[in-house]
Amino acid sequence: MSAFSAPYMQRALVEILLLAVLAGALGAWIVLRRLAFFTHSVGTAAFPGLVVASAWGIAPQLAALGAALGFAGARERLARDGDEDAATGILLVGALALGALLASDVYRSGAGVDRLLFGTLIGLSDTDLLLTALAAVAALGAGAALRRAWLARAFDPDGVRALGVPVAWPERVLLAAVAAAVIVALAAVGALLVSVVLVVPAATVRLLARDLRSLQLGTGALAAVEGVGALWLADTVNVSPGPAMAVVSGAVFAAVAVVSR
Amino acid sequence: MTLVRTHDLAGGYRPGTDAITGVSFAAEPGEVIAILGPNGGGKSTLFRALLGELPHRRGTVELAGRPAYVPQTERARLDFPVSALDVALMGAYGRTPFYRRLDRTPGLEALARVGLEAQAGERFGELSGGQRQRVLIARALVQDAQVLLLDEPLSGVDAPSAASIEALFEELRGEGRALLVATHDVRQARAWQRVLCLHGRQIAFGVPGCLTPAVLQATYGGELVVLPDGTSAIAVEHHEH
Amino acid sequence: MLSDPITRRALLEVLILALALGPLGVWVLLHRQAYAAESMSHGLLPGLVLAALAGVPLVLGAAGGALVAAGAIALAARDERVGADLGVAVAVSTLFGAGALLALSPEVPPRLEELLFGDLLGISGADLLAAGGLAVAVGAALAAAHRPLALSAFDREAAPSLGAAPARWESALLVLLGVGTVAAAPGLGSLLLVALIIAPAAAALQLSRRLAPALAIAAGLAALAGVGGLALSYYADLAAGASVAMCAVAAPILARLAT
Repeated sequence: MSAFSAPYMQRALVEILLLAVLAGALGAWIVLRRLAFFTHSVGTAAFPGLVVASAWGIAPQLAALGAALGFAGARERLARDGDEDAATGILLVGALALGALLASDVYRSGAGVDRLLFGTLIGLSDTDLLLTALAAVAALGAGAALRRAWLARAFDPDGVRALGVPVAWPERVLLAAVAAAVIVALAAVGALLVSVVLVVPAATVRLLARDLRSLQLGTGALAAVEGVGALWLADTVNVSPGPAMAVVSGAVFAAVAVVSR
Repeated sequence: MTLVRTHDLAGGYRPGTDAITGVSFAAEPGEVIAILGPNGGGKSTLFRALLGELPHRRGTVELAGRPAYVPQTERARLDFPVSALDVALMGAYGRTPFYRRLDRTPGLEALARVGLEAQAGERFGELSGGQRQRVLIARALVQDAQVLLLDEPLSGVDAPSAASIEALFEELRGEGRALLVATHDVRQARAWQRVLCLHGRQIAFGVPGCLTPAVLQATYGGELVVLPDGTSAIAVEHHEH
Repeated sequence: MLSDPITRRALLEVLILALALGPLGVWVLLHRQAYAAESMSHGLLPGLVLAALAGVPLVLGAAGGALVAAGAIALAARDERVGADLGVAVAVSTLFGAGALLALSPEVPPRLEELLFGDLLGISGADLLAAGGLAVAVGAALAAAHRPLALSAFDREAAPSLGAAPARWESALLVLLGVGTVAAAPGLGSLLLVALIIAPAAAALQLSRRLAPALAIAAGLAALAGVGGLALSYYADLAAGASVAMCAVAAPILARLAT
């Protein structure tokens, strides 16, 4: 297809396919373990970090990691009374406001903030691709090694310890893997739309899949197809992959939800 | 060889507050022990204590290996993409290193023992309540533990499943295992070898003959219904799920 | 600062919003609907974008967007196969992404930043009037519904099984939440408006155990955040909406540190 002959499109294609692998490896777990809000939060929390990284020229993934850790720490402190949704919501809107303030103070280019929030089609670097590939390999490895621990915990949180399966550290690995996936997805789809590649395809396949293996493989395949379609759309109407993927994956979800009733 | 022995077991979820106290009992091979008590009386807490999951625990517990735990089916996820066989095989997770393929035979055999070998490939959530309970028991069988902890395995279960489960209990007794069964059914409890009455503190432990109206009154407090002849008492069934 | 007509208008806008959204936020938190507040505000973005593209007042776009978002969220939340949380997440991210698509693709794009982070200083007379009217309506409705709302908030905590009454009042609250969201969207933006709803309320609930004082404190803190934020923006030359949001968010954080 001639649309994919340009170097930036080929790079974007590699990135989106790698993100599809991540979606396949982790999306099922995000959906089964109800981590969709967590996924979205890590992305949003990274926004102020991305603003600073952009202006100071440090690696955005690193800044995102720092911002995400800071967010996690602040959330621990703030959510003591039991309304975790409110605490998280407050910190997330605070992160967005902070990012906006830093952006208005540091540089006034509107396009810069758009790219951080919604991703970029033409601006993906070799580092971005490399880090995404590393994250994908790590996620696949962790998923293979910890599949049973994650499944047992997800299926029956009460009875899992009685099975003699480790619980605490596999849990931390899962959250770390999801956070890493979010951090590498930021470049292409932006801080506010990481769910559209990591969560929505998995939610769609979940409506149909009868076992875990087909859920995972199906998610990876669907995310890849939707991703390619989203890239084509993004290039055609001149937007970044994030919004394009949102529309594509959302439409497919709605269609499957209606048809599969 | 005694399979379970506790002495003055006590503990709870918060420091300083005991959910259970003074629990002292022993389970010998081949015994089914009914754990009786009201909701919130400590039956689940006792199981947690035996599994080593209670944050604060005092007293002594001796166990012949890790017990297998059969929770109530309502707590397991019904919308999960797992088959009955997948669930049964979870019992082997603890002893199979992650890089080794799971041997399906123990799972299939366990499902056969509970009468569900034909349902092995079906989705767990699509089975009936009684069938799901049996699958969870099959999971415990795959674990091959000497001690089984069962949390109300017969509540809300259809009659054929209940009969099949009770027959299985007899088989497991014959294999020399010990079963601790939390239950609301006092009548059922009288058919087994021992009863343990728990209402925060241990009220009684012994043969079912020790279930006098006084003991039942102390165990259930206001939940007791005493029949007009004054000698029998039936615990009221609670549907808390 | 007060001599500048633009700032005066922004001040008026933010004070009116604060007095309505502060107490609204207390009810939202008591009913555990913080997530609904965020979802509504993010989901209405396409409405704002379309209004900006068509040149109609943003309040209308916000209203249309809120209706569509509420409908999509209600549909998604009802599908048991997916689960409420996941369904809402899918609906909101799709709508939000669609809004961004509409905003970023045209030859002459609307000012997406302002739709996201608010345009307090650029508030038109029409938007101010609409915000004022809607805010007054919300405030009046909350005052009138005070007792049933209190019952449904605490009933829900006591009894997991819902009678008809608590559910109906919770729906009414969500409608008021929608109206408040629409009122605040042009000034504070789709991303930041939720700060004025949940943050002062969270602080108020930490500072007071009783309902009436909490409602008053929330309104007061929200007003303080509005004034403080505008002052910060005026004197330090920072974005107005973001400054107000930061001041609002500071309230529960300071309250947590103090208690």
